[in-house]
Amino acid sequence: MSAITGETAWDELSLSPEEYRRASARYRQRRSVTGYLFLLPYFLPFLVFLVVPVFWSLWLSFNQGGILDRARFVGFRNWQEIGSDSQLTISIENTAKYVVAAIFLVFTLALFLALILNRYRRGSNVFKLALYVPLLAPAVLVGLIWQFVANYDFGLINLILTTIGVGRVNIFGNGTLALLTIVLAEVWRGLGFWTLYFLASLQNIPEELLDAARVDGARGIQRFRRVTIPLLRPMLLFAIVIAIIANFQVFDTVYVLTQGGPYESTSTMVWFIWERLFQFQQTGQGYAAAVILLGIILFLTALSFWLLGSRRRRRRSALA
Amino acid sequence: MAVESARLGPASGDERHADYAQAARRRRTLDLGKGIAAYTVLTLFAVIAVGPFLYLLSPSLRHSYDLFTFPPQWLPKSLYLGNFGAVLHQTSYVRWGINTLVFATSVTLLTLAIDTLAGYAFARMHFPGRGILFGLVVATLMIPTAAIVAPLYIIVSHLPSWTHAGVNTYPGMILPMVCSPLGVFMMRQFMSTLPEGLVEAARLDGASELQIFRKVVLPLMKPAVVVLGIFTFMMQWVNFLWPLAITTTDSMKTLTVGIASLQGQFVTNWGLISAAAVMTMGPIIVVFLIFQRWFVQASMAGALKQ
Repeated sequence: MSAITGETAWDELSLSPEEYRRASARYRQRRSVTGYLFLLPYFLPFLVFLVVPVFWSLWLSFNQGGILDRARFVGFRNWQEIGSDSQLTISIENTAKYVVAAIFLVFTLALFLALILNRYRRGSNVFKLALYVPLLAPAVLVGLIWQFVANYDFGLINLILTTIGVGRVNIFGNGTLALLTIVLAEVWRGLGFWTLYFLASLQNIPEELLDAARVDGARGIQRFRRVTIPLLRPMLLFAIVIAIIANFQVFDTVYVLTQGGPYESTSTMVWFIWERLFQFQQTGQGYAAAVILLGIILFLTALSFWLLGSRRRRRRSALA
Repeated sequence: MAVESARLGPASGDERHADYAQAARRRRTLDLGKGIAAYTVLTLFAVIAVGPFLYLLSPSLRHSYDLFTFPPQWLPKSLYLGNFGAVLHQTSYVRWGINTLVFATSVTLLTLAIDTLAGYAFARMHFPGRGILFGLVVATLMIPTAAIVAPLYIIVSHLPSWTHAGVNTYPGMILPMVCSPLGVFMMRQFMSTLPEGLVEAARLDGASELQIFRKVVLPLMKPAVVVLGIFTFMMQWVNFLWPLAITTTDSMKTLTVGIASLQGQFVTNWGLISAAAVMTMGPIIVVFLIFQRWFVQASMAGALKQ
């Protein structure tokens, strides 16, 4: 094929600007339609079962009934009732206590174990596996297992106490001890996860930095405080927010261990919502409490993304 | 002290050698002590982690009334295997197990299908509103089921009849759980690592988007799909709140709801419960030990949700 015929053929094929514009618009339109078609199967259930329920939740908080009967609009009555409901205040307080205690304990222990596992690697796989096993159990079973740990008649703790000659303790009869049991059940379940999480973060710390500190004469604890902790801090902050979100929803263990008792001392937010909606038929108060929970979780989600973003910004400015 | 004097320079070389040897010996003893302490701590926590599971065997192997003797007993006096038979024959345990498998497997398969498609669209396709739609997904990332359980219940009980959904039905249990934003988020992260040129090359060769997705993208994403699959299955088989809300009949319960319902209002057969717990945890632990690497990866990938 000669160069000249090639050129003429190309001339005939090429489009006028007008034609070109139309073709590219058609191409882009088809591309967009394909994109939407790929999203459609996800967005249908997403809208019906997540986005709509969120707004419906808001609407329901001005209604009563609706689960077994028709919803009735009641204006701000639910919010007034819930404002003067001391059980909600107690439930939020209990949840806060639970979250703070569980996260403090599990993070301290997990960081401690991760430091040990990071330093002593021989045979560490066995210990990692063992720590991971409680994570396999559903929270409901964790709760039941803790019945067998804390029960008055045959619980492991009372068994040990009787064996060493101390009397038995009625753990579920005491509000503080009952809440503590729920905290410990969560710590027991989450310890393996957070240990592995921290271990992965520790192994990301460049060895040279610790070596440099060692050469400069920093001792073990100094190296931990001045090198390890500052490097872990962004990850730690993000992990804390995520753990708050997860733990704020504690319900399964409360359901099987205490049912909110004794005297509401282990009633948590989700337990409160559940009880009002499905046990007491005081739906209006349950709806309002659900909106409060929604608000708290959305705020914490925004906070976690802000933290992630600030970590990325800092890394970018460090590179520049 | 030894180090100090060594720096100042002791009188003779022999003396310096002795000091060094002594310091090294002291150092070794200290290290050994630390090592012993470290492994003691690790062993202690390993025992705490596994111990309650082992202790669970003890009540499962004796009559319920034997649990209430005083002083309490560590081990059963005689082995009693009746609890396991009772779990199988007097409760709907087998049915609950089947329900759990149907529920968790369906949610997992549906989630994988729609989340890979959506993740690919968000990562590699161009259309107006992509940023806003993805923002919507991210905003709902952590919405707890507890906060929307009432509207979910109302929606499910009013779905059109062709969906066959409703209270005490499989579709009613499954459908609301298939739209996890976390899966889309994870898939988009994974898909963003695909080399751009690969998809372009397939496009130039005339492959349709669906062909590209099935023949090029999915095979490369296999590990990510497996991780998301295990993660979703694990999240759903432990799910409690939603199956509890949407099931009222014994035959539709999942394992978590069913076992929790064995706890009676006034009298509880603890032998039965511990046997059911042992029967549930046993297989899981075996599966875990075989596929441990995948499990750990999946749970780390889901770090966002713990």
